[in-house]
Amino acid sequence: MTWTEKYRPNYYEDIKGQDEAVKKIKEFIINFKSGKKALMLHGPPGTGKTTLAHVTARESESEIFELNASDLRNKNKLQEILKPAIEQKSLLQQGKIILVDEVDGISAVDRGGLGELLSLIDSSEYPVIITANDIWNKKLNPLRKKAELVQLKEISYNLVKDMMIHILRKEKLFIDNEILTKIAINAKGDLRAAINDLQTISRTEHPSLIGLDERNKETDIFNALKLVFKGKPTKETLNVFNSVNMNMDELILWVEENIPSEYQGEELAKAYDALSKVDVFKGRIYKQQYWRFLVYENILLSYGISASKKDIKTGFTSYKKPTRILKIWLNNQRTAKKKSISQKYARYVHVGHKRAMNEFPIIRNILKNPDIRQELRLTEEEIAYLDKPLT
Amino acid sequence: MVSGIWTEKYRPTKFSDIVGQEDIIKRVESLTNSLNIPHLMFAGPAGTGKSTLALVVVKQLYGENWRDNYLELNASDERGINIVREKVKNFARTKSIGNVPFKVIFLDEADALTPEAQQALRRTMENYSSTCRFILSCNYSSKIIDPIQSRCAIFRFKLLEKKDIEKVVQRIAINENLTISPESAEILYEGSEGDCRKAINILQSTAAISPTITSELISTIISSAKPKDIKIVLDYALSGDFQKSREKLLDVMLKESISGQEVIKAIQKEIWNLPVEPEIKVKLTEKTGEAEFRMVEGSDPFIQLQALLASFVLAGLGK
Repeated sequence: MTWTEKYRPNYYEDIKGQDEAVKKIKEFIINFKSGKKALMLHGPPGTGKTTLAHVTARESESEIFELNASDLRNKNKLQEILKPAIEQKSLLQQGKIILVDEVDGISAVDRGGLGELLSLIDSSEYPVIITANDIWNKKLNPLRKKAELVQLKEISYNLVKDMMIHILRKEKLFIDNEILTKIAINAKGDLRAAINDLQTISRTEHPSLIGLDERNKETDIFNALKLVFKGKPTKETLNVFNSVNMNMDELILWVEENIPSEYQGEELAKAYDALSKVDVFKGRIYKQQYWRFLVYENILLSYGISASKKDIKTGFTSYKKPTRILKIWLNNQRTAKKKSISQKYARYVHVGHKRAMNEFPIIRNILKNPDIRQELRLTEEEIAYLDKPLT
Repeated sequence: MVSGIWTEKYRPTKFSDIVGQEDIIKRVESLTNSLNIPHLMFAGPAGTGKSTLALVVVKQLYGENWRDNYLELNASDERGINIVREKVKNFARTKSIGNVPFKVIFLDEADALTPEAQQALRRTMENYSSTCRFILSCNYSSKIIDPIQSRCAIFRFKLLEKKDIEKVVQRIAINENLTISPESAEILYEGSEGDCRKAINILQSTAAISPTITSELISTIISSAKPKDIKIVLDYALSGDFQKSREKLLDVMLKESISGQEVIKAIQKEIWNLPVEPEIKVKLTEKTGEAEFRMVEGSDPFIQLQALLASFVLAGLGK
């Protein structure tokens, strides 16, 4: 049995770090009437969307009917599945919940399945729960209007680590703290990934960090980068990123990280100039919602970067994974206290908390005063942070 | 209870206590007294009295009950326009208490909202205009969409003058038994950059160390809040080590929670201390300006900063 199954929560109280979502789903079930909106659980992978749906079914003593992609496309099959759900109503007093899992991963949504789902929501006698990773996906627009959105947050680094320690205790195993830290960082809020990694590592004789970084689409991006950085810019260059299963923002980060490992001097400046223009177009898309600018983003990011060099390049370059996001994330973990103090202070003195963060070195001195600490209701941890000598 | 934080303790509570911005105060005061205020927009740099004036207005309107009739939101802190709308909705649902027929919503840093979000805000302003008055504050009114500007009376706040800041500093110094020399006061004003809140914070921060405010002490405090190590970042770039340069830059930005714009500001000042030819200083300044321009247009300041560092690498090669 995989640990992700074995340690899957059964009751609301077992679900950690999603208090807000749990509260909302409870209310949803209590207040449900036929014809009401569906509930859409959304959030990154491994944050407990499906688990929460199943726990809800258990807690409300309901039977769960799970639908997937192909069910939605096939009208007859859909009815066949839902038939028992609808017909047995009078026989058993038990409630029912209809779960449509991972709706945004469904290509059937494009082919009429969405219509079925919408009419199901309208006609269902039972609560419909939908899960999705990315609700801002355009094709889900009509669905968003018919659903109450409940967000599941990324699981915090600390909680991921606590869960792993909890599991290890139950399994009577020991793994180095350093490795646990690494797994927790790597997971980036995905608890399922962390537990899977933990189980894998625990099986090896001498647990080490080797092999932990592998979960992704690295070969594709490596090849694409090689073509852009080393090859001659041609029409094909325009399409190199098509075969990589990443969105534009991720691609930009990969290019950003690796420009200096290929280009120096003038080439470096030219390539960054192209990348900077990519970002300008990205900003314009964001501010004006004018999506056609994507064309320019793509051309500059592929052909533009490629044409920044004088000659084609040979030899092997080992491209690096983007590190910036991870560094920002790690920093946020470290400065969580600074942030919470700044927020309390900012609210109190009528400024934005970003400004308070920025002026923290000055504010810090002011917060030495015990009366002020009390006035702001700082917690013991926050006070300990302030008393810690600066490094 | 009197706050221990001086920016609160010494925040003016009456129109007559506010320093500077005389014209604005007069106009807003007469609007307030007539109980007939339109939506207001306060535009201007930080620490020039925008929030303070908003607070004075509501204290004047509602007296003791001001807290029940006043909602303060910060656009850059709230996560998205929907949260703003939700809070406004809840607040505006009930009627104002007392004889003023409306409540007041203060939305700070309104220019942090995207144009799209501002459209949504405009609708909200319209929906609740019978029960609520909005006071929007922003640094740049040009970042506020026209339909909102046209619905507000706009007031442009100027940077506080030296005499204004000194007046505030002197008042606090007397009250708190501080000794502050004219020289220190001068440095304090320079460090505040015309931002009164910052001046008071620097003063209290320094006083937390010693009640005798020496110019040395005050300089230390001021520089503690300035982006440090920008020189090191630029030195790496000039010597051709781009990787180290950007690594250091990210470090500095994260550790000191400073924005891209502040880094640009620091770089622009640092150019004059660099060991490069005058001609190259001009070129670098222009590049810096271009980077700042693109930062405003773009979405990811760190990419613009890297592009700028690449120009410094070129400058190091004499190009």
